[in-house]
Amino acid sequence: MAGGLAHPRTLEYTDRDPQGPVPQEAELTAGHRVESGRSYGFFTDTTLCIGCKACEVACKEWNNLPADQPGLTGQSYDNTGRLGAHSWRHVTFLERGARATSMPPFQSNWLMMSDVCKHCDPAPCLEACPTGALFRTEFDTVVVQQDICNGCGYCVPACPFGVVELAKEDGKAHKCTLCYDRLKGGLEPACAKSCPTDSIQFGPVEALQQRAAARVEELEAQGQTAAYLYGTPGGPGATGGIRRLNAFFLLTDRPERYNLPPAPSRPSRNARPSFLAGLATMAGLAVAAALIGVGRR
Amino acid sequence: MSATLQHRRPGTEAPRLPDAVQQDWHGETYHGRPAVKASSFDWRVSTYIVILGVAGSAQLIAALARRAGPEARGLVRRARLLALGGSMVGPLVLVQHLKTPSRWFNMLRIVRPTSPMSLGSWLLTGFGLLSGLSALGELLGRRWRFARRVGDAAQGPAALAGAGMSVYTAALLSSTSTPLWAAAPAPLAAQFGTSSMAGAASALALMQRAAGEERSARRLEALATLALAAEWLAGREAERRWRRAGIAAPIERGTTGALHHGGGKALGVVAPLAAHGLGRVVGGRVGPLLPELASLAVLLGGAAMRHAVLRAGNESACRPQDAFRVTQGARR
Repeated sequence: MAGGLAHPRTLEYTDRDPQGPVPQEAELTAGHRVESGRSYGFFTDTTLCIGCKACEVACKEWNNLPADQPGLTGQSYDNTGRLGAHSWRHVTFLERGARATSMPPFQSNWLMMSDVCKHCDPAPCLEACPTGALFRTEFDTVVVQQDICNGCGYCVPACPFGVVELAKEDGKAHKCTLCYDRLKGGLEPACAKSCPTDSIQFGPVEALQQRAAARVEELEAQGQTAAYLYGTPGGPGATGGIRRLNAFFLLTDRPERYNLPPAPSRPSRNARPSFLAGLATMAGLAVAAALIGVGRR
Repeated sequence: MSATLQHRRPGTEAPRLPDAVQQDWHGETYHGRPAVKASSFDWRVSTYIVILGVAGSAQLIAALARRAGPEARGLVRRARLLALGGSMVGPLVLVQHLKTPSRWFNMLRIVRPTSPMSLGSWLLTGFGLLSGLSALGELLGRRWRFARRVGDAAQGPAALAGAGMSVYTAALLSSTSTPLWAAAPAPLAAQFGTSSMAGAASALALMQRAAGEERSARRLEALATLALAAEWLAGREAERRWRRAGIAAPIERGTTGALHHGGGKALGVVAPLAAHGLGRVVGGRVGPLLPELASLAVLLGGAAMRHAVLRAGNESACRPQDAFRVTQGARR
C-alpha cells in the first residue's frame, strides 16, 4: 500500500476495497470481537489518564458533534465543563493540592477522569422514556433514537449522573451511543481507540470487570491502596437498584471529587410509593366528601 | 458524629470505599458544578398539573354527587363539563412543552410500566375519553337516552382515572434524580392530590354560587377546607423531609421561596382556611364575596404551590451539594 496507511490485515480481504474498514477491526485494536447479544462497555482507568482529551476530540469528530463551549472555565484544564448534548466524553481535572514530596517522581497528584455515559443496567433514562426512543441495543448499550424522541425531556432529570441533555438545536435528547454505528461495523468506539494510554478500555463487560479487578490488585501491590472500582456490581455507583454500570471506572478518591454520586438510586423506585400514597389520599378525600354530603342541597 | 452519618438518610446503606480513601464526605463537589441535570419543565408543565388535577378531582366529585340523586343534577353536569374542559385544554398546554410537539403521539407508541410519564400519557388519554363520554351524557342525554346511559356508565371509571390524574404528576416528579422531588415521594403526592381536590371543590363552589345553588356550594367549600387542612399537613411533612435531608434551601429562599410561602401556603392554604373558618363561625351573614375570594385563592395558590415545587426542583438539581447529600447512601 502506498504510504502504508492501510492495515496489514486488509491483505486478507483483497476482494474488498483496501481503503475500507477491516472486518472486526476491534479485535486488532481492543482485543475483542464485537458480536451482537453480548454486553459491551468501557473500563476507564483514571490512574492512566493524562488529561489529553483525545477521547473528547475523537468523539466529536466521529459523531459530528459541534463545538459548544468556546470559552475558558477557569476550572483547571477542564474547559468542556460537563457531559451534555454535544459532549459525550468529558475529561475532569482536579488539582489536588501541592504535589506531595513523598511521592515518586513524575507524578502530579492531579485527578483526571474521562467521564462518559455509564450505560447503566437497568438504565434510569430508558426506564423514564415514554416514547421508546431510548432503547437497549444488541450490545447491551443504551441509545436514543433521534427519529422517535419528541423532546419531552423526562430522561434528563431521570439520569442519576446528569448525562443526557436536550440539544438547543433540535430539541432531542442526546448522549453517548457507545459508538453504536462503529460497533455495528466491528470497530472499537472512537474514544477508546484514540486513548493513547489505554485509560479507556473497550470490551465485553465481564472481561473488563475481571481486568479491572486485577488492575486494582496490581495497583495495591505497587502501593496505590486508594484504588477502587466505581460501577461494578455491589460497589459504589452500582447501588439503589442499579445492578451495574456497563461503563465503569477505577477511582482513587471519593466519587464526589469526580462529580459522581457515591450511592445513586434507580429513580423509578419512587413511583410506586408516591402513586399509592396519592391514591390513598384521594380515597380518604372521597370518603370525606361522601360524609360531607357533596351534591346534597 | 461523622459527616457521612449526618448526611446518610436512615434506612440507606453507604457503599464501601477503600480505607485509604477519605471515608466521610465533607461537602466536596467538582468545582461546584451540578452533578445532575435540571429538567426542562416550566410553567406549561405546572399549569398542566393544576388543570388536570382539578379536572381529575372534579370527576371524583361528580361520581360522589351523582349518588345524591336528581337534586345534584346541576353539580354533576358542571363537574363533568369542568373535567371535559380541563382534559381538553391541559394536553394542549402540555404538548407545547415538548421540544417537538408534532411528535406528541409518540407518547402512545409504547407502554412503559417503569415510566410515570408513559403511564400518565395513557391515563390522560383514558381520562380524556371517559370525560368526553360522561360529558356526552350531559350534552345529548336529554334528547338521546342512550347517551345518558353511556355517560353514567363512564362515570365510575372516569372518577378512578380522575383520582390518578390528581396525583400521578407527583409520582412523575419523584421518579427522577432531582434531589428535591425524589426526597419526598409520598408527601408530594398527598400534597398534589389534596391541592387538586381543594381546587376542584373551589372551582365547582364558584360555579354553584353563580348558578344560585348556595347550599351545595357550602358543602363543596367544606370539602375544600378539609382538603386544605390535609394539604397543610402533607406540605409540612414534605418540608420536614427536605430539611432533614438538608436540601430545603431552594424552596425556602429567593423567588421560589417567596412563591412557595406567599403563594402556595399563605394565599393557597392559610387565607382560604381562615376565610372559610370565619364563614363557618359567622354563618350566612358573611355574604358570598368572602367564600368566592377564598375559592379563587385556592385555585391561584394551588398553581403557585405546583410551580414553586417545579422551580425548586430545577434549582436543587443545579446544586451539587444537594445531589450528593441525597446519594450518600441508597436503599438496597
